Amino acid sequence: MPPIIEVKHLTKEYSLGTLTSAKDTLRHSMAKLRGKETWHREKFKALDDVNFTIERGEVVGIIGHNGAGKSTLLKHIANITKPTRGEITVNGSIAPLIEVGAGVSPDLTGRENIFLNGAILGIPKKTIQRKLDEIIDFSELEQFIDTPVKRYSSGMAIKLGFSIATSLDADILIVDEVLAVGDLAFQRKCFDRMETLINKEGKTVLLVSHNIRQVSRMCSRVILLKQGKIIIDSDPDEACTAFYNENNKQIKSKLISAEQEHNNKVELIDIQIMSPEGLNIEQININDPLNIRIKIRVFSEIIKPEVVIGTHTTDFIYLTANSTDTHETIDNFSPGEYEILFTHQNYPLKPGAYGVRMNVFDQNRNTLFHGENLIFFAVDIDKSESKKPPLRLIDVEGEFRIQKLTK
Amino acid sequence: MSITTPNLFAYRELITALAWKNIVVRYKQAYLGLLWAVIKPVMLMLIFTLVKSFVGIETGDIPYPILTFAALMPWIFFQESASEGVNSITANTALIKKIYFPREVFPLTAMVTKLVELAIGFFILAALMAYYQILPSIHALWVPALIFYTMLVALTISLFGSALNVYYRDVAQALPVLLSLAMYASPVIYPLSLVKAKLIDEQAAGEWSNALYTIYNINPLAGIIDSFQKCLLQGIAPDFNSLLPGFIATIVFLPISYLYFKKAENWFADII
Repeated sequence: MPPIIEVKHLTKEYSLGTLTSAKDTLRHSMAKLRGKETWHREKFKALDDVNFTIERGEVVGIIGHNGAGKSTLLKHIANITKPTRGEITVNGSIAPLIEVGAGVSPDLTGRENIFLNGAILGIPKKTIQRKLDEIIDFSELEQFIDTPVKRYSSGMAIKLGFSIATSLDADILIVDEVLAVGDLAFQRKCFDRMETLINKEGKTVLLVSHNIRQVSRMCSRVILLKQGKIIIDSDPDEACTAFYNENNKQIKSKLISAEQEHNNKVELIDIQIMSPEGLNIEQININDPLNIRIKIRVFSEIIKPEVVIGTHTTDFIYLTANSTDTHETIDNFSPGEYEILFTHQNYPLKPGAYGVRMNVFDQNRNTLFHGENLIFFAVDIDKSESKKPPLRLIDVEGEFRIQKLTK
Repeated sequence: MSITTPNLFAYRELITALAWKNIVVRYKQAYLGLLWAVIKPVMLMLIFTLVKSFVGIETGDIPYPILTFAALMPWIFFQESASEGVNSITANTALIKKIYFPREVFPLTAMVTKLVELAIGFFILAALMAYYQILPSIHALWVPALIFYTMLVALTISLFGSALNVYYRDVAQALPVLLSLAMYASPVIYPLSLVKAKLIDEQAAGEWSNALYTIYNINPLAGIIDSFQKCLLQGIAPDFNSLLPGFIATIVFLPISYLYFKKAENWFADII
């Protein structure tokens, strides 16, 4: 069977600069006719020679920074725009889970919008009629379904849109950041619906998200884009780790360039993760020591300072926090540079990427410095890991006691 | 058209749904609802009738109000199909940037919407015909063909115009001006028979008269409006001599317009 999506040498260029007016276009085509040089607008390569194939049933995450070309890539696969060079072959029907709002007409009621959106997404009216109850049920909007959507709260409108889009019966689902919708309970439901579509119905899914944990959980393969090029096309772990490393570089360069913007009492000069040998590293193994070296500059005297250093997940769940105040107070800071060495003797968290945060307080616990995502580090799998149960963050001893209740 | 038909047939449900949405949205919160669709031609008919009583226009044996109403029906259908068609792409930016279906769905939808309003106009026309005691003849069967032809003419304008409007919004600005000029160049206020009498019978422009009459008829609406009146009110067959120049123009320009649209379509999402 041929691959369901085949992308060959896909390049997309956009012209930079202002829109051309009819006058300019006319002037330049006149100049061209007379054989004169016209001005060239700078080109921007949103996608640069991208090649990949996707087989049926694959769940592929596409990650990258803003402007890396993720959405442009999806637009080409969904046939919304055409490539400058290269070709795309798609052997199947596509359901773009469009951002809600595109197909929803505010003046129509929820029910009317279900039919309209269905038609826009190419779902036959009969199918919609058959699935109507299911869609309304999933959207949790029974009570409001005959009210115009313009009277809905924004969350309600989003729920409606998602319910319609996922009722579609297409071979390929394209999901662009739509899972972060609604309240937590609804997000959970959307997530479950997606997993059903993936696992039970064997759909091919393309998922763009900034929520890397979501990507690494749902996808069987991840493509990392950077400036329109594929950097890595591999299993989720490798690609996500590479993405965090990319992030680190960017954050570091920002830290240094933003140096002069601080006029607070404390500024961060440098932050590094160190190996026990004192080398600069980006990842550690499970239960390895975690050494963080931070350089700060103090501008004026701080009496009884308190430094807090902690780690958090990429979605900002605080994992650890250690304060200098826990045992004893440290000496006053006087103006100048300080180096802070901080060590966790063993960092017990499971493979993934984590961020470092730091706070500096004065004696009245006024915040003098506060920073999250200061640096990322990856925890890697050690060799014994493959034998242990998956999908957990920490190892805590647990005890099983199983007994049969019925005889 | 033959290129698009099989493809577009698959999208008929979408066109129906979008046209239905246009109509529902337009009239949902209006107390008079769909009645607004006929208020415009009725008002224009009354104004023209008033003006006519000052200037005097020779209309033969057909009463002027119904003659001008029968002219306004195809004219307003054409004018609004064309102008809403031209705006239809830029008005649906959100959809264009998010999802693919053939883009000609939008100008077609604009036209289908107007078709519904045209249908309502027929009720008014029927009432007027009853009032003036005019009976339709067998030639009224030409009317569907005339409407289909009007749709082709409107599409010629709206396909090209809507695509160009994505690049240069000047089109949407200029179009209302051009269309209101075109109304005076079409036999809406005055009947075509008047033009024919001046140019062909009286040879008012000397040796250029016959050529001028042909040029006048290159405007497809000249033939359409005249035939519409002939078939419905006078009970005679359309005047094919006045239809021919416009028909040739349409056959030449419709494919060009469609090809331009299909070519430009690829970049709508980038430019819009």
